[in-house]
Formats: sequence, C-alpha cells, structure tokens
Amino acid sequence: MFNKNQASAPNNKSIETIIGPSVKVEGDFKGEGDLIIEGTLIGSLKTKNNLKIGQNAFVQASVSANNAFISGRVKGNINVKGKLELSDTAVILGDIKAQVLSIESGAMIKGNIDMPIANLSHPEESLETKSKTDKEEKIEAEESNENK
Amino acid sequence: MYLYIYDSFLIDKKYTDILLKFEKRITDLGIKGKIARLSVLKNMKELITDGVKEGVHTVVAIGNAQTFAKVINIVADLDLTLGLIPIDNNNPIAKILGIPPKDLACDVLASRIIKKIDLGKINNHYFINTAEIENGDVVIEYDDFKVEPTTNEHSIILYNFASDGNIFNSSPVDGILEAVITPIRSTLFGKKKISGTVLPFTKIKINSNQEEQIAILTDQQIIMKTPAEISVSPQKLKIIVGSERSFD
Repeated sequence: MFNKNQASAPNNKSIETIIGPSVKVEGDFKGEGDLIIEGTLIGSLKTKNNLKIGQNAFVQASVSANNAFISGRVKGNINVKGKLELSDTAVILGDIKAQVLSIESGAMIKGNIDMPIANLSHPEESLETKSKTDKEEKIEAEESNENK
Repeated sequence: MYLYIYDSFLIDKKYTDILLKFEKRITDLGIKGKIARLSVLKNMKELITDGVKEGVHTVVAIGNAQTFAKVINIVADLDLTLGLIPIDNNNPIAKILGIPPKDLACDVLASRIIKKIDLGKINNHYFINTAEIENGDVVIEYDDFKVEPTTNEHSIILYNFASDGNIFNSSPVDGILEAVITPIRSTLFGKKKISGTVLPFTKIKINSNQEEQIAILTDQQIIMKTPAEISVSPQKLKIIVGSERSFD
C-alpha cells in the first residue's frame, strides 16, 4: 500500500501505471496493476490493485480500487475494497465506501461514508445485547461468590 | 545453415580488418555459413528469401542499428532465427540483448541462447526497441479512454524494452509495450526532462490534433506518420542473445 514515505521515494519496480502531472486522461480507465495519478482524469477509474492520487491531481470520476491513498481532489464516489487513506490535502466531493478508513486532520469530505461491518447487521442492537450479556455474567459471578 | 549479411556500408576499407577478424572467428567456432553483401543490386529481402530456399535457418546481420531495423522487418514474418553483429560500440539494441561489438559477438552466436521476444508493430512496420514522437500535438487513444499531453514541449516514447537508467521496467518478453510521456522544461542550464507518465498497452492509436501529419521515428531509424495504430506482437522474433542481456 502507498504511504507518505513511498510517495517521496516510490518503489518503481512495483509501479505499473503513472499518469503524470502533464497529462489529461478522459474515458473509462481500467488498470490491472498499481496506479499513480498526478495529473487529470475525467470519466471512471478502476484498478484491481493499489491507487495513489497525488496532491496536485484532479480526478472527476467514480473511483474503484483495492486500496487507495488520496491527497488530491476527487469529485465522484469512491469505492475501496480494503483501506482508504486520506491525507490532510485531500478533498473529496462524493460518497465513500471502504472497509478501513484513515482520515488525516485537514482532509475535507462532502458526502456519505459507508463502512460495511461484516457480522453486525444492526450495530446498536448488538451492542445492547452484548452489554446485557456482560451484566448477566457479572450477576452470575456475584451469585456464585455469595453461595461459596 | 547460417546466412551472414553484410550491410552495404561495410564495403569501406576501414571495416576490412574487422570483417577479416570476424570471418576468422566464425571459422574457429565452426559456425561458418554463406556470406552475402547488400548492394544497390541486392536487397536484404531478396537475399533472405533466396537463403530460405537454400535451407538457411539462421540469418546474421552485420552492421549498425539501421541494419538491424531493416532485418527485423523481414525476419519477423519468417520461421528464422536472427543473430546480430554490431559493428559499432554504442548500439543500444545490441546492449540490451547482451551482444558485444564486432568479433566478440561471434561467441554469443556460437552459444546460441535463443529467446522469443516481442516486437512493436506500427501500422505494418515492426520495431524492436522504441518509437518516438517529439513535440507532436497528438492524442493517444486506448479502447476505452484517451490520453493527451497538456504541455507544449514533451517527448512520447513507446518502449518494447527500456535500457538501464529509465524509471520503469520494460521487458521484451512480457507481451506489453509502454507509452512514456515526458514533459520537457527549459531551465537556465538548458532543457530538462521531468518525471512523466507511464502507460502500459497492447494496442493504441495515435492521431494528430493538427492538420499536418506527425512523424514517428521507429528504432531511431525509420520515420512513420500519423495516424498510426501501434500494437505488440508477442514472441514474434526468435533472436540469439548474450548472457549479459538486460531481461530474463
């Protein structure tokens, strides 16, 4: 996964596609490998691997990736299977769906955030049930102590 | 049977010694074959097709980068193995293939490490190394999207394989070509290339945004024009390579 240190000294052996700052891409972009965007992309963007959107990049597209690190501007919905990291310079105008989300102080989001929670269909109910069972366990423990 | 083709410029006296050394070495190594010289009357295609009829299985081109660019386009569509003997010391294709210059290349020929490598194809013309566009106002069209440089000064190079020193890996055995768009900025110390775009592809089209056609230079030798369709021809060329080659 990309991080800040990698951004300054990327491991070029693993990088397959780079859209540089002097390039504009229009259309439905599909990538198989890791993808770095430093320029402009308009349309849609899909990669089965990791995605990095640089600080000066502008993406006006629905974005889909395995993991993503964003420090530029994105106008469109973002769907990330794994981890989404937003740096302090990131600006997101659209909905976010991710399994793990990390937002640095300063990042701006205008949209909904949806994080699928695997085993909890109604989190509040489940939390209540969990606290009840905790209480019951405590009472049982106390009773058994008294009996002793 | 080997067919050795000498390029026409090797008739110059300054190459006599080099060719004598070369001929002695192939005799020593037991890989002697038929020698043919290109001239105004004998072109390469004719020599190779005649050789095939006589049972030639390996064509060895002796010359420079231009010689190699020519021979590749003939051998690619035939069931032949290609060997290269660079006559100059700075041949980029030979370097990547691990072939040393002049008579030293005979040992590589004799060891017969044969690899099937990809070729780039631009319209109906093959290239082994690169196709270049300098400062052309072009649009690169993929199947589902298009790419446009936003700077006035830039270079677009389509790589089959990249030599050392480039920021990305480009292998001639991966079935993929890479389009590299590099903006050029003028500084106090002259023009400077800065980090650019790397886009892998198997097939693209390049069109000009201007009225006039734009030149595409293949293998730094042959000029093609836009509009052009560029694709990869995977494992198209059987070629003898050295152990010092820059790919697996």
